[in-house]
Amino acid sequence: MRPFDPRVLTVAPAARRPVLLLAVVGVLQGAATIGTAFALAALVVAVVGDAGLVAPAGWLAGLLVVRAALGWAAERTAARAGVEVTAALRSALLRRWLTVPAEQRPDPDRGATLAAQGVAAVEPYAARFLPALVAGAVVPVLAVAALVLVDWVSALVVILTLPLLPLFAALIGAATRDETDRRWAALSALAGHFVDVMRGLPTLAGYGRAGRQVEVVAEVSRQHRRATMRTLRLAFMSSAALELLASISVAIVAVTVGLRLTHGTVTLQTGLLAILLAPEAYWPIRRVGAEFHNAADGAEAVATVLEELATGPDAPVRGPSPRADSLLTDELGVALEGVSYSYPGASDHVLRDVSLTTGPGLTVVTGPSGGGKSTLLELVAGLRTPTAGTVVSGPAHLVTQRPFLPAGTLRDALRLGTDASDDALWEALRAVGLEGFVAGLPHALGTRLGDDGVGLSAGQRSRVAIARATLSVAPVLLVDEPTAHLDEASSARVHDLLRDLADRRTVVVVTHRPELVRLADRHVVVAGTGAEVHG
Amino acid sequence: MSRPSTAATVVRPTRATVLGGLLGGAATSAGIALTATSGWLIVRASERPVILTLLAAIVAVRAFGMARPFFRYLERIVSHDAALADLAERRSSVYAALVPLTPARLGRRSRSQVLTGVVDDLTDVVEAQVRVTVPLVASAVAGLLAAGLTAWFAPAVGLVVVGLLLLLALGCALAWWFESRSRDELLAARAEASRVGDLVARQAGELRAIGAEQTALGWLEAAHVAVAAAVRRQSRGRALVAALLLLGTAGATVAAAALVDPSATGAPVAALLVLVPVAVGEALAPLVDTMRALARAQGSSARLGALLDQEPAVHDPEHPVTCPDSRDGDGPVVRLESASASWTGARDDLAPTDLRLAPGRHVAVVGPNGSGKSTLLAVLARSLDVSGGRHTVDGTDVRDRSLASTRADVAVVDDEPHVFATTLAENLRLARPGADDAAVRRALDLAGLGPWVDGLPDGLETRLGTGGRGLSGGERTRLGVARAVLADRPVVLLDEPAAHLDHPTATAVLDDVLDATRDRAVVLVSHRPEALDRLDAVLDLSVPSPPKE
Repeated sequence: MRPFDPRVLTVAPAARRPVLLLAVVGVLQGAATIGTAFALAALVVAVVGDAGLVAPAGWLAGLLVVRAALGWAAERTAARAGVEVTAALRSALLRRWLTVPAEQRPDPDRGATLAAQGVAAVEPYAARFLPALVAGAVVPVLAVAALVLVDWVSALVVILTLPLLPLFAALIGAATRDETDRRWAALSALAGHFVDVMRGLPTLAGYGRAGRQVEVVAEVSRQHRRATMRTLRLAFMSSAALELLASISVAIVAVTVGLRLTHGTVTLQTGLLAILLAPEAYWPIRRVGAEFHNAADGAEAVATVLEELATGPDAPVRGPSPRADSLLTDELGVALEGVSYSYPGASDHVLRDVSLTTGPGLTVVTGPSGGGKSTLLELVAGLRTPTAGTVVSGPAHLVTQRPFLPAGTLRDALRLGTDASDDALWEALRAVGLEGFVAGLPHALGTRLGDDGVGLSAGQRSRVAIARATLSVAPVLLVDEPTAHLDEASSARVHDLLRDLADRRTVVVVTHRPELVRLADRHVVVAGTGAEVHG
Repeated sequence: MSRPSTAATVVRPTRATVLGGLLGGAATSAGIALTATSGWLIVRASERPVILTLLAAIVAVRAFGMARPFFRYLERIVSHDAALADLAERRSSVYAALVPLTPARLGRRSRSQVLTGVVDDLTDVVEAQVRVTVPLVASAVAGLLAAGLTAWFAPAVGLVVVGLLLLLALGCALAWWFESRSRDELLAARAEASRVGDLVARQAGELRAIGAEQTALGWLEAAHVAVAAAVRRQSRGRALVAALLLLGTAGATVAAAALVDPSATGAPVAALLVLVPVAVGEALAPLVDTMRALARAQGSSARLGALLDQEPAVHDPEHPVTCPDSRDGDGPVVRLESASASWTGARDDLAPTDLRLAPGRHVAVVGPNGSGKSTLLAVLARSLDVSGGRHTVDGTDVRDRSLASTRADVAVVDDEPHVFATTLAENLRLARPGADDAAVRRALDLAGLGPWVDGLPDGLETRLGTGGRGLSGGERTRLGVARAVLADRPVVLLDEPAAHLDHPTATAVLDDVLDATRDRAVVLVSHRPEALDRLDAVLDLSVPSPPKE
């Protein structure tokens, strides 16, 4: 893993400020810590020499108060950085998925997991590992620099022993890598088992297999305990070895200083400073080591997110391509030329070599089930990219067969994508014949939909979606089977509405209703291997 | 419903955690002693004595330097082993407790989220043993030792150290208060951010279709702002302890410096006394982390308690009727007569409904959200009992039969079948242990997965799930169907199997499902019009009337 990937700051500019602030506070904390060592040494010298305490005590208290303030700021900044880096990465991911066609989005499950839990793993990385990294890089350097000025002999001891720490860590790591990798793999399988049988509990219970799992869970947990302890013993052993190494190094400094003091070659103040500064050189490095393992998940999540953001070109600009330019004169038109489409991973085409041109007015699309009609609309809306051919369309609003209604009020659902006034919402509801129904709801437009509110039937849902479409300003309106769930009267009303809308816009409707076909200006039959235009 | 979760009920000091705390106390004490004896050594050395007189101090410095990592290592081994033992024990007992509550008491939706939450909560509660008890005991031991040592040389400085400890205790109490107060708010804010993230990731296409990209990003922004605000409030607790630790150190060190009298104690001891408060302050820094762990564990413990304290929704009768096995290979006849049901007992989630199921009869259930479609399936699967009317199997009221006997007739395919991290064959075989490969393969073929299996590198032995091969939504649904086919149960309940599939896939899957279950009794809950014309009856729950034939 990379300790810090600077690309994070490029894809998540919002994270720049807190991360920078974190670094600044970390450096200041390091400097204040070194200053405290000087003040403490001076205070002890003053105490044993019966000199005036006020000045060193004042310095020490002052510096500790500064460190307290910095400690406060560091905790607050680290928490903020954690949240903002997480938020920035999640926003970047979702912004991308909201601008690219379906083929460039990951599988929904994978995407949802990445956007929810995956990104959350970055928080401890930013809030804990990054500060440790800053301290690890800054404080030892400051401590050694101060030591060089104060007592170069002690500085030499530190400079000679300090590289042993990372060297030792690397050696231990190299010697145990295979063993550790093997154990981690086994360990994550064991750890994953409980999550797996928990999530699958309803399935297991459904087939009467849950009771048997209790003993399996106990056995696997025991194995997990043994395997974890084997791994931990190794990890704790190596961290104890590093601490021992640091302790011995500090002890060497203390003893050499002590011996030189008895010879009178250094002063008490210098000796004290040496033993107070020496440990400051070692612990930040050990802390990076300790947090390194904790942060590995976060670093991996960062890498995954960056990889996801790096795949493919960024949001394609929707507009006329050179070849189809001649087919289209204004934003109202829709033009497909030689369009084929196959779903990602599928070899057969759902659409093959479809060409059609249409403009303002009502175009109906019919054809056999599974013939690619819905896919055709998604291609026109730019939600999918054709595998061959060109699609040109003005900004489009697509009403799918399962229109998305958010958890919230009916007003929220209708205003999705527009900022229409309540008057406009009522007008739209009137047009689809839902005015009376909504007026009769307990809170009218403010009524909550879904699980904790009013349930809408499939027909009501599709009429709400059509009402929402009438509020859209998009010049191209695409509608997939609008009246599949509606009775005759409601269907007729929606058909008339679509006919009216077609006076001002390009309306393309997938339908199997002959009544609507009769109202259409153009009729396109899609049968997978082409489109035939009638009328 | 939830148990009171005071610190004592969440963090039960056990022998192992107290032992870990004592070992940790030894390590922390060694760290404090290292600083103190080093100071003593340096000052004593500066008095230029005979070197031999320093030897004891030199040995002590080295011994403390080595004792710290040694005891720290032992502490970590003991406390982690204790936690893992505790985790193993609690995992199996919680699992056993959840079985009778599944599925009716796991919430109506996102059950796998509820169950994942249980895993996390359990981890939090167990971790608290290590992350709360051990550092608290260790800090108390080391702090009191340091106070005792200093008091022995100079009682006044001993009191100063005690004062520092009390200040830290106060800081911890305040931090706990901040953490507990913001805990639920933060949890809710994080859950909302996750929900919006999940929603936008899954519905990106639908949101683009209606030009709602900006609105969706606005939801995300609002959720993130709420998380940031909650985190800001919560971080006050940690920041407070971190700052108090240093302020206390400042006060205690200055006070110690003012109170020591080198002429009475000698210069080296005076140095030691001034250095001890600094060493205590540094050694007790891990306290910053303890209160967050405690507050989290208390929240987790309360949630676990609320979940596990529920009564199962259905019970076995005391004397179950043994049903005569006179079906001659045919499936049972299941009847609902004016059956109503309720999840909570507060209101009817299913209004009185009539339904008859027999082998080969396929019934679709439609109706708006909340009209009781899933409730109806829960009743048929005997996850829930009727609150009014009758539910009979072959004429016997199901409440007189054992749960197992009714459930053994029913296979449920929901909209999110779980794929276990094992082989494809084992993933199916859980539905019918002992089924041979040919039967497994037949079930996969019937569910329309034949070509997919042929394309797999290891065929039936391909590993799926976490760490294995991923499945698309359609493949997952078909896997659920294949399980139900293999289980060979006479009643198949399909709960919106095609809910997450695109149109062509949904049509193909539903066709295959209905073909595969031709001779079974099937109830299909669906929002979609596809394939409804292939069913024998449609039960519309929005209209309180019998199914139209």
